Amino acid sequence: MKRIKLIFSIFTALIASSCSESYLDKQPLDTINTENYPRTAAELITIVNGAYQPLQWPKLYNLRMWTSDIMAGNSIVGAGGGTDGIETQNMSNFVTQPDNAGVLDLWRGPWPGILMSNIVLETAPTLDIDENIKNRSMGEAYFLRANYYFILTRYFGDVPLITTPLSSDDDLFPVRKPVNEIYDLIISDLTNAIQLLPPKSSYGQQDVGRASKGAAYGTLAKVYLTLGNYQETVNMATQVEGLGYALNPNYASNFDINNENSQESIFEVQYASDGGFSFWNNENQASWASPFMGPRGSNFVGGSFGWNQPTQEFINQYEAGDSRKDVTVLYEGCPDFDGKQYQASYSLTGFNVRKFLVPLSVVSSYDNSPLNFPVLRYSDVLLMKAEALNELGQTLQAETYINMVRNRAGLDNIQSGLSKNDFRDAVLKERRIELAFEGQRWFDLIRVNNGEYGLDFLYAIGKTNVTQKHLLFPVPQIEIDRNPKLLPQNPGY
Amino acid sequence: MNKKIKRKVPHKLKLFVALIILSLLSRIGVSQTNNSGIIISGQVLDEFSVPLAGATILEQGTTNGVVTDFDGNFEIVVRNKSALLIVSYVGYKSGIVSVQDEKIVVKLTPDLALLDEVVLIGYGTSKKSDLTGSVSSVRMDDVQGQPTSNIGDAIQGRAAGVTVITSGQPGSNPTFRIRGTGTIGNNDPLIVVDGVLLNGGGLNQVNMKDVESLQVLKDASATAIYGSRGSNGVIIITTKRGKKGKATLDIDTFTSIQTATNVIDVLNAEQFAQFNNEMLSNGGIATNPDFSNPSLLGKGTNWLDDFFTNGKQSNVTLSYSKGSENSNMYTSLNVFDQEGIIINSAYTRYIVQFNSDTQINEKIKFGNSFKINYDIKKNGDNSIQNAILSLPTQPIFRENGNYSGSIGQPIYSGDIENPIGKSNIVENSTKGYNLQGSIFGEITFLKSFKFKSFFGVEANFWDNRTWAPAYSWDSDVSENAFLSESSNRSVSLLFDNTITYNKEFDNGSSITAVLGTSAQENEFKFLSGSIQNFISEQAQTINNGLEQPTVNGSGSEWSIFSYFARGQFDYKNKYYLTATIRRDGSSRFGEGNKYGTFPSGSFAWRVSEEKFLNESKTINDLKLRVGYGVTGNQEIGNYSFASSYNTNLYNFNNSFVTAAVPTVLPNSNVKWESQKQFNIGIDASLFNHIVDITIDGYIKNTEDMLVPQTVPVTSGYSDIFVPFINAGEIKNSGIETVVTTRNIDKEKFKWTTDFVFAYNKNEVIDINSDAPLLTGGIGLNYNLARIQPGYPINVFYGFVQDGIFQTQNDVSNWAVQTPGTNPASSTSAGDIRFKDLNSDGLINDNDRTFIGNPNPRFTYSLNNIFNIGNFDIAIFIQGVQGNDIFNANRLFTENMSVTTNQSTEVLNRWNGAGSSNNMPRAVFGDPNNNTRQSTRYIEDGSYVRLKNVNISYNVPLDAFKSKVFNALKLYVSAQNIFTITNYSGFDPEVGVNGIDNNIYPVSRTFILGATLGF
Repeated sequence: MKRIKLIFSIFTALIASSCSESYLDKQPLDTINTENYPRTAAELITIVNGAYQPLQWPKLYNLRMWTSDIMAGNSIVGAGGGTDGIETQNMSNFVTQPDNAGVLDLWRGPWPGILMSNIVLETAPTLDIDENIKNRSMGEAYFLRANYYFILTRYFGDVPLITTPLSSDDDLFPVRKPVNEIYDLIISDLTNAIQLLPPKSSYGQQDVGRASKGAAYGTLAKVYLTLGNYQETVNMATQVEGLGYALNPNYASNFDINNENSQESIFEVQYASDGGFSFWNNENQASWASPFMGPRGSNFVGGSFGWNQPTQEFINQYEAGDSRKDVTVLYEGCPDFDGKQYQASYSLTGFNVRKFLVPLSVVSSYDNSPLNFPVLRYSDVLLMKAEALNELGQTLQAETYINMVRNRAGLDNIQSGLSKNDFRDAVLKERRIELAFEGQRWFDLIRVNNGEYGLDFLYAIGKTNVTQKHLLFPVPQIEIDRNPKLLPQNPGY
Repeated sequence: MNKKIKRKVPHKLKLFVALIILSLLSRIGVSQTNNSGIIISGQVLDEFSVPLAGATILEQGTTNGVVTDFDGNFEIVVRNKSALLIVSYVGYKSGIVSVQDEKIVVKLTPDLALLDEVVLIGYGTSKKSDLTGSVSSVRMDDVQGQPTSNIGDAIQGRAAGVTVITSGQPGSNPTFRIRGTGTIGNNDPLIVVDGVLLNGGGLNQVNMKDVESLQVLKDASATAIYGSRGSNGVIIITTKRGKKGKATLDIDTFTSIQTATNVIDVLNAEQFAQFNNEMLSNGGIATNPDFSNPSLLGKGTNWLDDFFTNGKQSNVTLSYSKGSENSNMYTSLNVFDQEGIIINSAYTRYIVQFNSDTQINEKIKFGNSFKINYDIKKNGDNSIQNAILSLPTQPIFRENGNYSGSIGQPIYSGDIENPIGKSNIVENSTKGYNLQGSIFGEITFLKSFKFKSFFGVEANFWDNRTWAPAYSWDSDVSENAFLSESSNRSVSLLFDNTITYNKEFDNGSSITAVLGTSAQENEFKFLSGSIQNFISEQAQTINNGLEQPTVNGSGSEWSIFSYFARGQFDYKNKYYLTATIRRDGSSRFGEGNKYGTFPSGSFAWRVSEEKFLNESKTINDLKLRVGYGVTGNQEIGNYSFASSYNTNLYNFNNSFVTAAVPTVLPNSNVKWESQKQFNIGIDASLFNHIVDITIDGYIKNTEDMLVPQTVPVTSGYSDIFVPFINAGEIKNSGIETVVTTRNIDKEKFKWTTDFVFAYNKNEVIDINSDAPLLTGGIGLNYNLARIQPGYPINVFYGFVQDGIFQTQNDVSNWAVQTPGTNPASSTSAGDIRFKDLNSDGLINDNDRTFIGNPNPRFTYSLNNIFNIGNFDIAIFIQGVQGNDIFNANRLFTENMSVTTNQSTEVLNRWNGAGSSNNMPRAVFGDPNNNTRQSTRYIEDGSYVRLKNVNISYNVPLDAFKSKVFNALKLYVSAQNIFTITNYSGFDPEVGVNGIDNNIYPVSRTFILGATLGF
């Protein structure tokens, strides 16, 4: 009997020893538990930094935002014909279907940034930290959230309106809210951002590139211009002018890796070399613009995938003596690139985009370009002001602003005394040239005259498939499958 | 005809048995006497006069006994001439002989009631005849001749209700499904090897020749002892241990060649150029000037010819074992080497197994199992799809000996990087270092009690490496060499303690009870890094790289702790009752949901023991079984309950800052998935054991099913990495039948047939969400399948093809697909006509429906084994019926919208009214979206396959006059010999989800082998 007792007590001891509660308590080793985070200013800033990250992704500024120029008729895909680029081809042929990969990217890109902005806006007020950091962080979050919604609503019209972080107990299946409600939020967010953000000039070297007061004013100017509120556009642009921005004397400086976040730059998406993550993943990417736009077979830049080939019609728009031409595009007979001669055979159209190329002699591989991508430049603000003044009937005052941009490009002043309509055409053409391949043209096409300007233009350059419905993308099929409350689909799809 | 045989054979058998008895009687003689007794010597033989080693001879009524040696000889001293000897051997009927002769020969006959093999049931064993649950045992003799390195592949079709999907990729493990797809989440069964519950380790770490037994626990009454890990079934494997008797040494070796079972045909250069011209001009694009006269281009390059090659395998196993009264050991070495059927794919494996048991004294026993495994998987960057799609107009090599790349614009020259070049220059390898070891101690006390403590370790270490040198192939340039390495380790510790009580009563009744605890924990860590641009490509290590270094590392842990108990009651071999309960606690669930309890009970009634059947000649054995139980599933990742941030980097002005990003939408309420299963079964042996039948029927309901939550991306959280919620219910019901017939049973000619049939019906009952769950993603912008109540799991969803528009008039009279007037950018004659299911005059996403079911209706197999003299022949046929395959390869090989090569199916494309009502026109950009997911890609996946033919010859040793070795068997075998199927792809065995997308096909294998016994 003694022996049984002994064995049973060993047995129970074994059970007891291995069954302490801590045995079953395993918390993640590789991630930070949200319950205790963020608590300090430094921790809050890491989430703000995360809110910027989706801007970098190919879903937005690394690819899809600039391929909109192809849709807008400035260029053709070029790469299409093999296995990639077909979705962009379809967009630019206006046969876009709800399963289009590019449309899906643009729908999916902004939401993670909106979530992270919402987390900042929810948690920052509860933290007992340096007020300057708290205000700045909230200002950045308002600014970013407004930008993400601005992208979404311009591409898709009505979209869900989500302003708080969700958990699995919340309703994850939102309906779409009307465009005007989305703009109400965008305007309110940017107004808050203006209050909270410091001017760019107050940032130290480490923080240049963060959203600033000027970026919020400039973005709000563009929002008002999009909504046709010209007086407010002028007001906001005037505020930007007061913040010390200036055009770079040389247009090319805007795309120089040694001159990033320059005096002309109001907001740009930041990229850096040696980020330590894969080129194809979504984390801290190198820039895709140079490798994707490098002329195929040229060996000018790492990658040279041959995307984005300008059309003859676009090249024809350059006035003689426009210094922007040799910066923006490659054509047979253009100045050598990095000591190498361009050949028309590199492209189906005979042209390639030059402004974003980083020579192979500077960056030796396709996956390491540090070149930032411009979102808002001072020249854009000047042209917005010119456009808005003209719409307000102040065409003569408007000339000043368009001429600032033209003169920098080595061009004469615009012919004075143009009619309102002619001036509008002139400023839109100036925007097309000045901001070429920066992902702005499509938004100009769809905003002027409620898109009539764009439809007329696209039809005129031979895109005869285009109809009213193409001013908006369809909501991706797979997203409607996941959340049927997104119905109805945009008209015509 | 069958009837005739069945009637005849019993009669012959009787005669046969009578003859044996006669022959025994005639040979029995008397031996000399001495003082203490009489020395009797003799030999024990089987029914074919082959000596039986290790048979026991016991003098009746005494403890006096001996064991036969390797040649079946024995010598025993008995008290007097009236002594009776009881001769017994596992699997044979015991014989009782008197000792009239000094030299006796005992011939034993097999016990045809073979039901009495011992099966493993988890934390114990049971006689098969006592089982109350549903357990399949795979006869190792049947599978060990198959030319495969993985025992998982070898059991395909051998056990009813166990679906095995093999992969052709060298070194990969097959996928198992036991009784259908039971859950949306993880469906892999638990694998237990020598008592260690594997975590991550696969069956490729087990040498098939080492396997002693393999059992599959299928119903809940059998699996409930594994509680939370039992829902998907349990595969229990034990390896060989030394047997009492003479030491043995065996060498088994085989070598084989392998080829692809079916290679699809692609366009040659002339056909491609014609197609490309047609596609571009239909798309309104100038054609390739180089293709102005396609007939001059000839055949061009057939990339697949160079991409596929003859595979080779060679395998050697050396094993030796020894057993004595108090200890035994078994040791083996396996070396397996394979070159795959795709260039630069290979697998090499080494396994050392060491098992031993030692009886320390009457009450204490220790033992161990130990397995070391080292394997190397290698492959280039080999994509079958790219080999199909590469242009036949491009040579593999340029004249200067370099691999070719595309030249010029991809609209003419494509943009697929040379698949032969990428296969050859890129080196991907995985080296695995695996260890499974366990040690146990066992104490017997108070006669009926046994305490066992079992400690096991499973350690898996694996290193991944990718080396891609710089290259410049025309337009395809990779500027820098790239190296990436990762080092991973996963270590699990297992500690089980059980007390077993066993009591047998005089009337044949018995009780067995087990009470135990089990604790298991795992830690996983990895470290990885990559770098580019090397000083010299000869020095392929991370320290020689110059640019863009990356480093990464992480880890995770889980643990599980369980109590369990099982009681088995046997009343007079007539009524059996088994009851099991297990309580599991798991770290994978949050506070309050950590524990789950899983009970089961089952009952069996051996009807044949009842008086009314006792004397039946027709029904020799009949048992009815019924059982019910609950099991669980905890395979949801380690931290579903936790809410957390990942960290990575962003930068401002080129200086890096830390960014925290939310990972997965948190769900702290996640709990166990539970599965309730009801099973009813019959085991019968009929007509003098000529026919054995097992039939099982089951209903399996998975409740609170762990479902990946549908998280729309609008939440901002990942919609790919989503939390699991307990939200669903799936029902599987089915019937499984195994019929074994011993058609002919003569001394020189035996013929046995096994027929296995399994029917399973799968239905999703509820997913607790209005929106269906989307599955079947293959990297496209839409999903191919969905999970929706009322349908089987993972049904295909899409449009319905309704022929081809023959004229523009047809287009105008049909619902609007892609509007417009330009045939290059809108629907035109030659495009696919899709059904307007909601009749709204518009073809859009609302016109999709359920278009196919990847779940087979039934599976079956037929195994015929012939023993003719010294020849053993096995012919194994296996089939699957009633499943659909979504042939996603055809999305690419028949898309006819971009500049890539295509399969020869596109030769039937539409090119004028009446030319085709099935294959659309070729048009660049595919304006009508002919390639949308539709019935166009759904194919019948049914097949019947001559899976294996194995012929072995036991060389009569007399011919050698040598005693160097005792047994020599030569064998030839062939695997996947031919397949009857309507499926058009490489092979219909495409994976559980039924989607064929760039899958490494299974291969046809021919082998030649020999087994040598010393």
